[in-house]
Amino acid sequence: MSAAPRALSRTRAEVAAGARELARAWRPSATIVAACIAAAALVPPALGSLVRLDALAATLYLGVAALGLGLTVGRAGIPSLAQGAFMAIGAFVAAAIRDGDHASVLVAAIAGAAAAGAAGAVSGAGIVRLRPVFVAVGTWILSWLVAFALLSFPSLSGGVEGRPVPQGELAGIALTPRAHYELALALVVLVAGAVALLGRGAFGIRLAAARDHTGAALALGIRVVRLRVAAFAVSAAVAGLAGALAVQLARVADPTAYGAFLSFQLLVAVLLGGAAATLGPLAGVLALSGISLAARVVLLGASGERWNPMLAALLLVVVLSAGGAGIVPWARALDRRLRPGAPRSRAPRTPRATPRPKPIDGVKLEADALTKRYGALAALDDVSFALAAGSVNALVGPNGSGKTTALRLLAGTQRPDAGTVLLDGRDVTSLPTSARVELGVVRTLQAAGSFRELTALEHVLAGSALRRGYAGPLRTVARTPLARTEEKEATERALDVLAFLGLEAAANVRAGELSGFEQRLLMLAAALGTEPRVLLLDEPAAGAAATDLPRLARIVESIHERGITILLVEHDLRLVRSVAARVLVLDAGRLIADGSPSEVSREPAVRAAYLGRRSLA
Amino acid sequence: MRRAAGLALVLALAGCGGSGTKSSGGTILIAVNAPFSREPALGNTIARGAELAVSQVNPTGELVVGRTRYGLKVKRYDNALSPQRAVENVRRAIADGAVAIVDEGTGIDASWQIARDANVPICITYQGGEGLVDPAKRPNVFRIAPTDHGVAFRLAEYLIPKGLKIALLHDDSDYGEEGAVALTQAFGRNPGSVAARLTLPSTADDLSPQVLRARRAHATALLVWGRGPTIAKVLLAARAAGWNVPVYTPPSGEDPIVRQQLADHPSWVDGLTFASGRMTAELGPSAFLNFQSLYRSVYGASRIDVETAAGRPVLQPPDYAMYSYDFVHLLEAALRAAGSTGRKQVLAQLNEVVVQGANGDERGFNLKSHEGVVDDDVYFARFRDMTFRPVKDDPLSSTLPVIDQTG
Repeated sequence: MSAAPRALSRTRAEVAAGARELARAWRPSATIVAACIAAAALVPPALGSLVRLDALAATLYLGVAALGLGLTVGRAGIPSLAQGAFMAIGAFVAAAIRDGDHASVLVAAIAGAAAAGAAGAVSGAGIVRLRPVFVAVGTWILSWLVAFALLSFPSLSGGVEGRPVPQGELAGIALTPRAHYELALALVVLVAGAVALLGRGAFGIRLAAARDHTGAALALGIRVVRLRVAAFAVSAAVAGLAGALAVQLARVADPTAYGAFLSFQLLVAVLLGGAAATLGPLAGVLALSGISLAARVVLLGASGERWNPMLAALLLVVVLSAGGAGIVPWARALDRRLRPGAPRSRAPRTPRATPRPKPIDGVKLEADALTKRYGALAALDDVSFALAAGSVNALVGPNGSGKTTALRLLAGTQRPDAGTVLLDGRDVTSLPTSARVELGVVRTLQAAGSFRELTALEHVLAGSALRRGYAGPLRTVARTPLARTEEKEATERALDVLAFLGLEAAANVRAGELSGFEQRLLMLAAALGTEPRVLLLDEPAAGAAATDLPRLARIVESIHERGITILLVEHDLRLVRSVAARVLVLDAGRLIADGSPSEVSREPAVRAAYLGRRSLA
Repeated sequence: MRRAAGLALVLALAGCGGSGTKSSGGTILIAVNAPFSREPALGNTIARGAELAVSQVNPTGELVVGRTRYGLKVKRYDNALSPQRAVENVRRAIADGAVAIVDEGTGIDASWQIARDANVPICITYQGGEGLVDPAKRPNVFRIAPTDHGVAFRLAEYLIPKGLKIALLHDDSDYGEEGAVALTQAFGRNPGSVAARLTLPSTADDLSPQVLRARRAHATALLVWGRGPTIAKVLLAARAAGWNVPVYTPPSGEDPIVRQQLADHPSWVDGLTFASGRMTAELGPSAFLNFQSLYRSVYGASRIDVETAAGRPVLQPPDYAMYSYDFVHLLEAALRAAGSTGRKQVLAQLNEVVVQGANGDERGFNLKSHEGVVDDDVYFARFRDMTFRPVKDDPLSSTLPVIDQTG
């Protein structure tokens, strides 16, 4: 078979596989959404003379920008108040490019999206590191800056009169209001689909993990800042695209139309519709437009638009005081209440027959003269030890003895003041956490907590994304054959990990619905998802009931059997005795004992460190 | 009985032919696109002029187009001084079936093509920007209002011989930007008379820094081209600093908001001189006074909430209302002449018909000129005691009568 027919045959097979995948993923809610899209597509031929298609198209373009913002607010947890500013950038870049009708609409739209995306990347690099409240303030200031810039540079913005935009064509079709409506509708479908795929894919899962528990996400090697900047830039690019096309519809780039209120309105729409739901932002925009229209027609008359900011602020207060979930989540909750027997989209999985644990080559981890000081206090003072490949070791000591500091230095969360960390003989002291996770050194956190909004399966996928080569945003959205195959394999492996920990039945259950101990196991599952060679467990038994300890001990044993090197920091000495072959004891930052549990328990220094009241026996 | 039957037959026959056969064709919509929310005085003045003309046509029931009798209707669309809103309004007006649009001028650069594609004429009745009207490129755009070009050249012609060093100030509104272009052309041959050129931010609360810069440039007169609030802020800044410099403006100087914002300091308005299209015709003031009387009988006198020193309320003459009033009558004539409500035919007839305007002058357009106010009709008026009267040191203005503006 020659190359062309082979490619054709393969394409057919992939399309069929994609269709099967779509059919498998189809839910009743998808039928409702498809019916709404079909109904919306029929508006121009059926109601074209009765409705204002230009106003509907403008609303849909706003919906596109809101869908992009949903990714930032809902998935990444970044409360951006700059989406209107990015729309403005897209609009004015497109208007400038279209000036004199020298460039096509497509070129202008792409340039508008690219400019807004670049602006998003640059501003995001500074903003996403801030706490949410400062993110809101920072982005709000950005919105004002763009608005002021537009008014201050009339040579760029056209001043108060704006920049006129000639009517254009797309693929030979004149962009009339009707054509814009159809284009905007298609764009809504495409962007909503892309956001849904991104949210479900590794990109979205890691974003959500970083949103729910930044520290735990960092410990898994997730590059939180880079990921958030990417989400912010993608969201800005979507807003820029919406702005670039909306300005073609408006036929004028009007600086007064892109004030800071637009950003506020978009954020309110996202929260009103439900930031967590893919279609929530669109529902919010439609609801906001409907309420505004009704208020104008019924209550306030033609000048009612002046009241829009107040109306939006009022709606925001209502949504927040009602829990902040938004329309789409509320509708889902109502549906669940009205149809208690209806199948859930996240049904529990049936347990797998046999987990298939993958053997791993554990590696040797060494600490050589590690020292860490906080001012005058030596948290860790010249501590050296070596963990043999595939061994189970425990690091114990009284509170404040330096155990967690030692784990942080080994995991790369902190840099030592002196000393080195060697992994299989290689000096990794200067490597950041993410690089060490890639090399196989993973730490679980001391504090209880999980990625509350992620399912058990997504916890493991958040960790395993590190090992995937085709999980980038573009491949995720394009659903390339390689990305699909890899995703399927990653899911299988993740289910194996869950089965290994006895959590497979909870694969599709959100972490927030699980017990505290199960949530701790989830973080262990996420760590195992990264395919570690050295596992640093920081108090895994903290908060566990006495009845859970044997299960935890069996799990640690099983991990050991897979060949992974383990360093366990634990206060529960029963667990230490049952799993660790070797115990290291720290006191006041110094290593005071090193040996088997029985050897160590006989050390006078250890007894003294434990105030002489408790022994390891 | 037989006579009665015969009379009935005659009436019935009469009803079947001649003028009695006219059927009712419904309503012809005229859209008014103006800043009702942002500048209500201007928006209402424009709309009322159009509504007044419609109110004259409808009661007679005699707008017969072809063989069909029509009523006229005016619908207001608020552009809020936003070009995007103005374009949306033009789309809405066309969708609503408007046969013509009376427009304040905002957003015309973007909206005229949309109206042209639907063969809908737009008549600007306030803004005078030079590029707004161009019969060759924008065949559907007309204007009945003084042009910036005419106002600027008349101001230059009036001020340069006085030997003043003029600071040319304009705000960053579309009105101001257009005016700045016209002033640059008008004063281009006499750069020595220009002391400074400054842009005023229309959103600023205090224009003292800009006024101070003009003073430091040794200006002996200010020519402020901006919307009413900007002019008020310049006067406030100059007079508060004790600078009694003469101030000249385009037609926006007669905007009631200037006097309203300076109501606490009426003497600061004294001496303010503006250029505008003359209200009265060569034949005398009677036509305008009749129009003013008609206007006041319908809408009442336009009190602007300031008083003269003698405590008499100040009234605003409906000078800008007469422009929209005149356009509606031109449209009426075009409809009649076209014999059809087809937009294309009406648009073509607007280049042909002529009517007598509210001030007695003839109004009309042709294929080469879509300007309803000629540049020579620009006059100057100066405020004193919150009312204005034509100046005496300009040949045209000195011949014009004073229109009483007190209640």
